[in-house]
Amino acid sequence: MVLTKIEEVKISAMAAAVSNTWTALTDMETQEGPEVIAKFSKKTGVKGRYDANLNQTTADFCFAAAKAILKEKKISPDEIGILVFVTQSADYSIPATACILQERLGIPKDCIAFDVNLGCSGFSYGLNIAASMLKTSNADKALLLCGDTSAKEKNWKKKVKTSHSASMLFGDSGTATLLAKEKGAPLMHMISKTDGAGFRAIIAPYGHWRNPEPPVGESIGSRMDDIAVFNFATSEVPELVKKQMEEANTTVDNYDCLVLHQANLFILKQIAKRTGFSMDKTLVSIDEFGNTSSASIPISLVKEYGDVNENKDIRALMCGFGVGLSWSTVDAYMNVNDILPLVHTDESFDDGYDFD
Amino acid sequence: MTTEQKIALLEETLEVDEGTLKLEMELAEIDEYDSMSKLGIIVMMEDEFGVKLTGDNFKQFKTVSDIVNMMNN
Repeated sequence: MVLTKIEEVKISAMAAAVSNTWTALTDMETQEGPEVIAKFSKKTGVKGRYDANLNQTTADFCFAAAKAILKEKKISPDEIGILVFVTQSADYSIPATACILQERLGIPKDCIAFDVNLGCSGFSYGLNIAASMLKTSNADKALLLCGDTSAKEKNWKKKVKTSHSASMLFGDSGTATLLAKEKGAPLMHMISKTDGAGFRAIIAPYGHWRNPEPPVGESIGSRMDDIAVFNFATSEVPELVKKQMEEANTTVDNYDCLVLHQANLFILKQIAKRTGFSMDKTLVSIDEFGNTSSASIPISLVKEYGDVNENKDIRALMCGFGVGLSWSTVDAYMNVNDILPLVHTDESFDDGYDFD
Repeated sequence: MTTEQKIALLEETLEVDEGTLKLEMELAEIDEYDSMSKLGIIVMMEDEFGVKLTGDNFKQFKTVSDIVNMMNN
C-alpha cells in the first residue's frame, strides 16, 4: 500500500465539459432491440450520454473546462506551473497532448507538462501526481486535465458509433481540476494500488507496438472481461475505501459524499453496500453521462454541486478504479463554490493537418 | 436450503417468473441469462453462500443445475 499525505495543497476549482449532443439510449441507433436497451439501461444506470462531435477530441473538452476555470476564478495562465493530462484518447501517438494544451491555454514555457496513460483510476492518480509535484516545486498552481472519448468510434472514417453494448455504456467528456498551494489547507490523504496480473481484464491489444496489426476479423478496439472487472471492483475497491477511512481515522459520517468511478450502477451499489455508504451519499452521474473513464469523478461532483451556489466546504472520499488494473483513493476537501457548472462546447482545435 | 428454494432464488436473481426455471434447462436458451445477470448471480452466490464465482465457473455452467449445484454453503 502506497500512502500519500499532502499538506497545504487545495483543490481550488473543478470544471467539466461535454458537447451539446446528448442522446438517450432509447434513441440510439444500435442493433439491439428496445427491450435489450431498456434492460441494459436499468442494470447499468445509463439513460443517455454526450457524444463528441466528429472533430472533437478529449483535449478539446479539457481545454474548454480549463478555460472556464481560468475565466471564472480570474486566474492568469502565468500562474500555472504544472499541467498533467490524463487520458487514453490522446490527440496523437506523439507528441504528448499536454504540450499542445500548454500552448493552447497560454501557459508559459516555465511549465511541467506531460500525459499520463491511465483510464478509470486516472483522476485519483492524477490528483496524487499533480499535488505531489506542486508540493515539491516552486509552482503555485497545477492543472489536472482528465477525460476520454471512449464512446467515439475507433475508426473515425466510418463516422458511426459501434453497436455493441460497450458503445451504450461510455460517454465523451473532459474535465479540469485546479490545485493551488494554500496555507492551512487540510491534509489530503491518498492510497494507490496496481495489479498488472489483471492487465487482460480491460485491454486494447492491437494497434500498438506489441501487436501492431490485428488478426483478420479482429478489431483494434478495447475488450473487457466483465466478470473479472466486476470481481475486482467489488472486492478490491471496498477494501481500499475502508482502508482509506482507517488511515484517516474516519467513518462514513465524516464525509459529505462518496465519489466513485462510474463503472456501472450495479457496481456502485455493491461498493456502497460493502463500505457502509448510503446511496444518498454516493454520487451518481452515469445516468446522464455514461461511464466517462477518468472524467467520472469530477463529472459526478459537477453534476451534484456545479449549480449550487453555496460557500460550504465538503469532504469527499473519491475512488477511481479500472484498467491496469489500477485503483486509488483520495480523501480531500473542496468548496462547493469552486465546483463550476457544466460547460458545453462544440469547438475543436484546428492543428493544420488534413484528415485524408 | 432445498433445491426448490435455490431455484426460486435463482429465478429472483434472473428476474424471471416463478416456476420458469427447471434443473435441466440449458442456460444458453434463457434470454435473461446475460452478462449483467451473471453479475447478479455472483453477488447472490457470495451473499447467500459465501461462494466467489469466476469467469471460469461461468464457462463451465451449461444448465440450471450446474449453478444450483454450486449453491451450497
